[in-house]
Amino acid sequence: MPTGGVVMKKWFQSFLAVTLFSASLLSGCSQEESSKTADGRTEIVLSGWGGNPTETKLLQQTIRDFEKKNPDIKVKHDVIADQYMDVLKTRLIGGTAADVFYLDAFEAPGLMEAGVLEPLDKYVKEDFDMEDFEKPLLQAFQHNGKTYGFPKDYSTLALFYNKEMLEEAGVEVPKTWNELQEAAKKLTKDGVYGFGVMPELARLYFLAESKGGQVMTNNKASFASKEVSEGLQSILDMRLNDKSAAQPNEVGADSGIEMFGQGKAAMVLEGNWAIPYLADTFPDISYGTAEVPTIGKKNTMAFTVAYVMNKESKHKEAAWRLIEYLTGKEGMKTWTSKGYALPTRKSVAKELGFADDPLRGALVAGASYATVWQDGPYLPIAQTNFNNQFLSAFLGQQPLREALKKAQKQANKEILINE
Amino acid sequence: MKKERKKYTLYEIGQGYTFMLPAIFVLAVFIIAPILYAIFLSFHKVELLGGPSYDFRGLDNFVKLMEDDRAKIALWNTIKYVVIVVPAQTLLALVLAATLNAGLKGEKFFRIVYFLPTLTSSAVLTLIFMWMYNQNGLINKLLGMIGLPGYNWLGDPNVALPAIMIMNIWSTAPFFMTIYLAALQDIPDSVYEAAKIDGANFWQKFWYVTVPQLKPVTSFVVIMGLIGTFQLFDQSYIFSKGTGGPNNSTLTVVLLIYQYAFKNLGTMGYAAAMALVLAIVILIATLLQRKFSKEETLH
Repeated sequence: MPTGGVVMKKWFQSFLAVTLFSASLLSGCSQEESSKTADGRTEIVLSGWGGNPTETKLLQQTIRDFEKKNPDIKVKHDVIADQYMDVLKTRLIGGTAADVFYLDAFEAPGLMEAGVLEPLDKYVKEDFDMEDFEKPLLQAFQHNGKTYGFPKDYSTLALFYNKEMLEEAGVEVPKTWNELQEAAKKLTKDGVYGFGVMPELARLYFLAESKGGQVMTNNKASFASKEVSEGLQSILDMRLNDKSAAQPNEVGADSGIEMFGQGKAAMVLEGNWAIPYLADTFPDISYGTAEVPTIGKKNTMAFTVAYVMNKESKHKEAAWRLIEYLTGKEGMKTWTSKGYALPTRKSVAKELGFADDPLRGALVAGASYATVWQDGPYLPIAQTNFNNQFLSAFLGQQPLREALKKAQKQANKEILINE
Repeated sequence: MKKERKKYTLYEIGQGYTFMLPAIFVLAVFIIAPILYAIFLSFHKVELLGGPSYDFRGLDNFVKLMEDDRAKIALWNTIKYVVIVVPAQTLLALVLAATLNAGLKGEKFFRIVYFLPTLTSSAVLTLIFMWMYNQNGLINKLLGMIGLPGYNWLGDPNVALPAIMIMNIWSTAPFFMTIYLAALQDIPDSVYEAAKIDGANFWQKFWYVTVPQLKPVTSFVVIMGLIGTFQLFDQSYIFSKGTGGPNNSTLTVVLLIYQYAFKNLGTMGYAAAMALVLAIVILIATLLQRKFSKEETLH
């Protein structure tokens, strides 16, 4: 028979053992990042979404060049395969986000306001040459006079047209939006639509604002105005009256460019990403690109992504050196050399000569007048509601103005929850 | 008995709790604490990004929830989904189980075949169905072969939710079928013999013997079905690429909670409030179901 004291002791010991065991199980989940590698180099993590194999190779090449020039730094490239922003936000909250990561201009205002990004102005040296960046693209990552990121590349939208179909129908490449509507009518036949549309705000934003309307005003949705619906009306006319436009899933495609590649649409508005995609997936298609047909004046969308620094980074100096290299003249030249992405630096663009490229020329030309896909921290909310309601108007289930009013009301309610 | 109870010594209590400790620890960390935290969050405006900030708002989140049109749409979609899927999958499960229990040839083979959909991951299943639902996909081709018009299953707001319903009934019914099958084999033959002697035909035996005997199992199947369907998320998430589209037609309550929690930046508290309301709705639905099934047993 053990005495009381011994029993208590044993009980305590087993209690301790079990607790420690459970705790050690749990701590196995949390990772303690070692900041130095075995050979004493500083390790920094770079997060981004995945690209196609060629893009990945180009990025790895750029990183290797950087490591050669900075032997004291090792870059760990981490790919977030899906739901990039959700994963990134979760990691930022949990304090496990990378030192340097990609950020889309569209999502940038939210993160810049939340104060999780490191302002980069104090690191910038004279020879980095900030003036060299296309101004609207750099401005997308500036907030209250501070710069939080440097755009790594961009794309605008251009008109992609199927040369054979246009020739067959005897249609010239449209220069104005009215010409586009007429061309779409003539090109629509035998299950082919003249114009393939993605009924999404990201693609239609410049059209929505083309008649003087505003999608967002003072961080509130304001797209239910007469001007915005006038701007968008032509898309509905094509879909519902002329029957000359369709969205990809109406012909069993997943994206506008797949629809174009399959020969189900004669014209689409797409970006630089479409060029390598078509070369890989639909190499036989004969197509050309042109600047987006004008509505009064020239306009298009620009999408851009920057490298930004985590405010919680433990190696800010090293992280800056990486950003400096990747968005610098040399790194950007390697990264954009194959034309998978367009350079945001004027000097690099000039050197690589994409302005004279028969396919990319139209995309590059758009950069000077494009509207950057960004409009304050609540554009993502406005976008979700716009897309939902616009789709039903696009399908003819409700009048456009009514759809936009509903979307605006709901978007503003959601914005209010955020405030 | 009372005397015995007093006999528990500190030693025994300690021993008991020590044995339970790992379980208690896991429950506390992964279930109880998150529930309490969610309740705490639901009364606050929470900004997790950039150093967590909690701003007490009282019932503000719940008041806003009442006026949220998308929340109403999500609840309505979810209710439509529950009302159609739960009875359909329960009935289908019962019928499948009854046919498997009827002593036909190849019973084992069919048991495996029927059960396969349940073994498949729902994400994989959804992706396969999305191919079949494609405008040029298998289902539209089959409909065309028998002279019916095809649908834009993925893009038309009127058919997107039914498309998910069909998929889910097909994939979850077999799971409940196995539960029914086990219960069916527990019904004593003597009851059927007595019914036979009374002159009952096949349908009468099924309706007056099998179905009442299965009542407790049916109750379980319906409750599990209710809970499962109210929490519909992955299928509509994959179907709509996380948007709940086309035109909010596949937006479910859990998907909306996810959007508020992770897509928007400052609405974690609001999402928690919505989750709490969903929990209450499921609780009420379950209690109603239990009340009705109890009333029937009294007859």
